[in-house]
Amino acid sequence: MLQTAGFATVHSILGGIRAWEGLTTPGQPEAGMAFFTMAARAEELTALAWLLEEGSRRFYEEAQRSLKDSDVQKLLSGLVTAEGHHKASLENLYQNITGSPPGKGFPSSLLSDATPGDYMEGGVRVSEALAWVIGKNIQAFLELAMSLETASYDLYIKMERRVEGENSKRVFSVLSGEEKKHLESLASLLDRKI
Amino acid sequence: MGIIDYFKPVETMTAEEARKFLQGGDPREYNLIDVRQPGEYEQGHIPGARLIPLAELPGRITELDPNKLTIAY
Repeated sequence: MLQTAGFATVHSILGGIRAWEGLTTPGQPEAGMAFFTMAARAEELTALAWLLEEGSRRFYEEAQRSLKDSDVQKLLSGLVTAEGHHKASLENLYQNITGSPPGKGFPSSLLSDATPGDYMEGGVRVSEALAWVIGKNIQAFLELAMSLETASYDLYIKMERRVEGENSKRVFSVLSGEEKKHLESLASLLDRKI
Repeated sequence: MGIIDYFKPVETMTAEEARKFLQGGDPREYNLIDVRQPGEYEQGHIPGARLIPLAELPGRITELDPNKLTIAY
């Protein structure tokens, strides 16, 4: 987020405050920064976004089954629904860009190793994140979810800048706004659980 | 392109590297920000860290100098 905003040099501290305090609990899966070359086409970026939304949807759906806190389950239910709506928006955008709806091969035909549900925001593997969540407390889960929504917010800001055409830009602008609201909802819940 | 080609790892430093940097550095020459929630910050934070919770960062980013090295946790 900071680098997207033009900050020249940004570092995060590996392991965060726990590492600073000398604690060695393995860190959460790290979300990478979205990065596109100028060669990336709008339909590829749309396919990528769709794929990541499906991964996030799957992650939240499976996490909802294993986390027993009713407040968290309610929030996750909302996020699962929201990711589904985002996929629908991206399918419409794909059709606007290419003139055809996504076909049977979508998104694999555009992304070489894409299996829907494998990857989510930040390029994090869904299976890795689900394995990490096992045995973690609510606070740790919410912090992971916040890092993922931050990565998603950052992704859509970059996509909005990268694509051409007002309609495409508007779709990504709306999506980034919604990811920011997800982040705020997660933060609000984390405040109540600390 | 593969999925992972669309992502770059975030630059990191170890806690020890951060400690050495902060011990020797001038606080006026870097941004040190804690992006956790206020309750977490109150329980303990790196000395000198400024609290800007993650969800507030988009709206408060102008409080920071983008030309300075920024360390976030």
